[in-house]
Amino acid sequence: MFSVSLPGPVRRYFDNWFDTHNPPSPDAIFLHNRRLYILPTRFGYLFAIMLLFLFFAAINYQNSMAFVLTFMLISLGIISLWHTHKNLLGINVSLQIPRPVFCGEYCEFKFDISHANNSTRYAIGLQYADQAPVYVKLDPEGNTEAKMKIPTVRRGQFRPMGITVFTRYPTGLFHAWGWLKFDLPVLVYPRPAANARLQQSMVEQYDGQTSTSTIEGDDFAGLREHREGESLRHISWKAYAQGKGLLTKTFQGQARPSLWIDWDALIEGSLEDKLSLMASLVLAAENEEQKYGLRLPDTTIAQDYGNAHKHACLQALAVFRQPDFNQELELENG
Amino acid sequence: MKTASHNNLPIRSIADEIASRSSIFAVCLCFLISITPHFSNLPLWVSAIVMISVGWRCLQNLDKIREMPKWILIPLVLFGGIGVFAEYWTIVGRDAGLALLAVMTSFKFLESRRHRDLLILVFLCYFLIATHFLFSQSIFTACLMFATLVVITATLITINQREDRIDLRQLLTSSARLVGLSVPLMLILFILVPRVPGPLWGISNEQRGGVTGLSDHMSPGQISNLIRNNEVAFRVDFEDKVPSQSMLYWRGPVMANYNGSRWYRARRKGQNRLNITVTEPAIKYTVTLEPNGEYWLLALDMPTKLVPDSLMTEDFQLVSTKKINDLTRYSMESRLAYQVGKNESLEYLALTLEFPANRNPETISLGKSLAQRFDRNEDIIDAVLTMYREQEYFYTLQPPALGDDAVDEFLFGTRRGFCEHYAGSFALLMRAAGIPARVVTGYQGGEYNNVGNYLIVRQSDAHAWTEVWLENRGWVRIDPTAAVSPSRIEQGLDNALSDDESVFRIQNRNPLFGNFLYGWDNLQHSWNDWVINYDERKQRNFLSKLELGIENWSDMVFALVFLLLGVTGFYWLIVRFRERPPRPEAYEILYKRLLKKLSRHGLQKRPSEDSRAFLERVADRGFPQREQLADIVELYNRIKYGREDDTDRRLNSMRTLIKSL
Repeated sequence: MFSVSLPGPVRRYFDNWFDTHNPPSPDAIFLHNRRLYILPTRFGYLFAIMLLFLFFAAINYQNSMAFVLTFMLISLGIISLWHTHKNLLGINVSLQIPRPVFCGEYCEFKFDISHANNSTRYAIGLQYADQAPVYVKLDPEGNTEAKMKIPTVRRGQFRPMGITVFTRYPTGLFHAWGWLKFDLPVLVYPRPAANARLQQSMVEQYDGQTSTSTIEGDDFAGLREHREGESLRHISWKAYAQGKGLLTKTFQGQARPSLWIDWDALIEGSLEDKLSLMASLVLAAENEEQKYGLRLPDTTIAQDYGNAHKHACLQALAVFRQPDFNQELELENG
Repeated sequence: MKTASHNNLPIRSIADEIASRSSIFAVCLCFLISITPHFSNLPLWVSAIVMISVGWRCLQNLDKIREMPKWILIPLVLFGGIGVFAEYWTIVGRDAGLALLAVMTSFKFLESRRHRDLLILVFLCYFLIATHFLFSQSIFTACLMFATLVVITATLITINQREDRIDLRQLLTSSARLVGLSVPLMLILFILVPRVPGPLWGISNEQRGGVTGLSDHMSPGQISNLIRNNEVAFRVDFEDKVPSQSMLYWRGPVMANYNGSRWYRARRKGQNRLNITVTEPAIKYTVTLEPNGEYWLLALDMPTKLVPDSLMTEDFQLVSTKKINDLTRYSMESRLAYQVGKNESLEYLALTLEFPANRNPETISLGKSLAQRFDRNEDIIDAVLTMYREQEYFYTLQPPALGDDAVDEFLFGTRRGFCEHYAGSFALLMRAAGIPARVVTGYQGGEYNNVGNYLIVRQSDAHAWTEVWLENRGWVRIDPTAAVSPSRIEQGLDNALSDDESVFRIQNRNPLFGNFLYGWDNLQHSWNDWVINYDERKQRNFLSKLELGIENWSDMVFALVFLLLGVTGFYWLIVRFRERPPRPEAYEILYKRLLKKLSRHGLQKRPSEDSRAFLERVADRGFPQREQLADIVELYNRIKYGREDDTDRRLNSMRTLIKSL
């Protein structure tokens, strides 16, 4: 489109300039005048060349109506510049908190787009890098939702910086856009290693309580508060009907093996390989309904199980020795 | 709420996207609308290519036929180019250029799938509008093209709208608004952009289709054909009052050569000095000449001024140096009383006495006998005019067909004829009698438009008369038609004809309709004056009349930049004041205040945290007023996500709680 490759320092200067003029927002970006940019498209330039040709033809043939047409089209261009700008101006884009994903998966961004104007806004596009854009139409004072799937290439906290909201309506001669920089990092978990199994050599079995630490078993032991992600099978619907909220029945006698997924227990592989492996172990442990804990050089997560625990472990893996990064730059350079 | 979603394949450019079916149909329609008025200017095979291509593309769009394969399309493009060259022996210039544009656009249609193709096709349609103006710049064409512009712009909007369904009314409204808003800007540009005198490069001077007017020769029947044409030949604005009808002889081609059947122009070189003896002041007027496809600049007999790019031949015909293929406007001066050609060269006088001896023997012998009978040339002329007047000669638009010795048959047989019969026979009789004579064609009379106060001269006012050379007097105008039908000269052609032969005249219509027609003609005249003839000179005159101090080229550019910047600035002002971000809700302001307060304690909310997680963390850090904090967050969430009752009370308690922190 208009991605020009600039030398490093110049690029950084412009990036700085952009950052100060487009401060990242935690939740919503209102496209006011200063956040909007507008440039001619390639067709805009082509149109201009055509008009130049037309102008010289009009001079050459001394044809007054050809002058009228040339000036009419120039005016149409100028008016459409304003219309394109106006089509994007005053739009409010907010981002719903995206769900964490595993590296390599597509992360789904959901945007709420609204405006308070009494005009219809056509062909509002959202685009990430060089992906095909998604278009929405806004009814007068209406709102709509746009979904966008962005590929992830590295674990960590992912802040997509290359999302633009743009429009070329009505004539396609101009491209008006604003940067959608949200300060809402998406957690990208390490890509789970393939074929990882819970092997004795990789995990350090927690010795003492293996058989005794039983919180669930065959015999009904009592009720405790329901935790998100737990199986609905064990919910006490009776208690729920009595208005006590969601409670989970606990049973005695169902032995759960418990284990540690330990950084130091893994010998081979690079940092990323190890983290991948650990991520897949977390998933495997969760899948086999084991109780597990996570040990990283600077973090320890106590043994537990359940969805929240799983995500806590994966988050720890995601951010381990991981500064924020700019995915777009890596995509471009890689 | 509608949710838009997308596939996430990388694309090179937004313009690479496949266009929707509806936009392809729209572009087909748009192309047809822009090119259909050109079908009369295009060879039949080009029109056929246009129709077939558009039809093919439409059927392909409906999945009835498949896309034309490249191995057929590429040779077709080549043959198209060769075909145009074979038709015109060139591929540049107006006609060939148009044909080439039509052919290539048609072929472009066949391979158009993507967004970019459609945009280029729409641009070509805009370009097609311009080509129409090379053929006609009338009000009608302008209106038609304005409507076409709205349609093309609507198509452009369709393509960029990216909606599957077309709302025709909305589209045309948006387009008309866009075009309508452009009009004021266009007028500013039209008035102020400095005009450059052209042409910049050589243009072949192509003739407009169907141009009528006087030709460079005269034979019986020719002018009476022209008479039936009520198109306007030219319009004249007089500075003072209009001379009487019988003095309105508009001088056109002068014919001194005669070959027995037709009169034609002698090749005579232009003269540098006008050798005219005049006694009275000049009549000043401005002629707006419609294209005549020839070199003639019409002027009142006798023109006493030259205009740029023109010359006066030795037989006093004003001719332009280039063909009049565009509306031409010039100011002129004429004298109604004059003496010319007293010192005419013997060579030219000999030419104006020539006639083939083997044709029209009776006429020639009549002329010779007249010369023997009378001594003075004036008497010979009088005798012939008397013959026309007193014998049974009739003035009619439908004279009988004549054979080889046309003049003999007319003078002694049919005796029914039109101005060219009288002028031709009279000039031949004069030559036979030894008086130098020549035929002058042009227009006689005209219709006064009292709405716009100017004279309309139509093709139907075409006329032919003669000039004879008399010693001491030079060339003298003799109009034999006046002898036969004085009313033709005094009151105009329609009064000279019988009822079943009448020609078009506004004044013959009923007054109400007549005034409407005069008004319409006045509009056309103003259009010619202000739009079509708005050139460098007109622009300068107009701007100095406005008295804005815009005198020259740089003033115009300055005014233009000033106006454009002014309009742009106005827009920015509107934008600044109208488009403000929505005012944040009261609870958000309070929440921000809370966060600000907490940050003073070194407690910063992390972007990844929601409010609950943040407050949990705050609590963990041992913040003293954790209960109050929890209450505030509870209130915040209730106001934000709860029902709307009690909001004010909650806001108040939230405010007091935050204050107490």
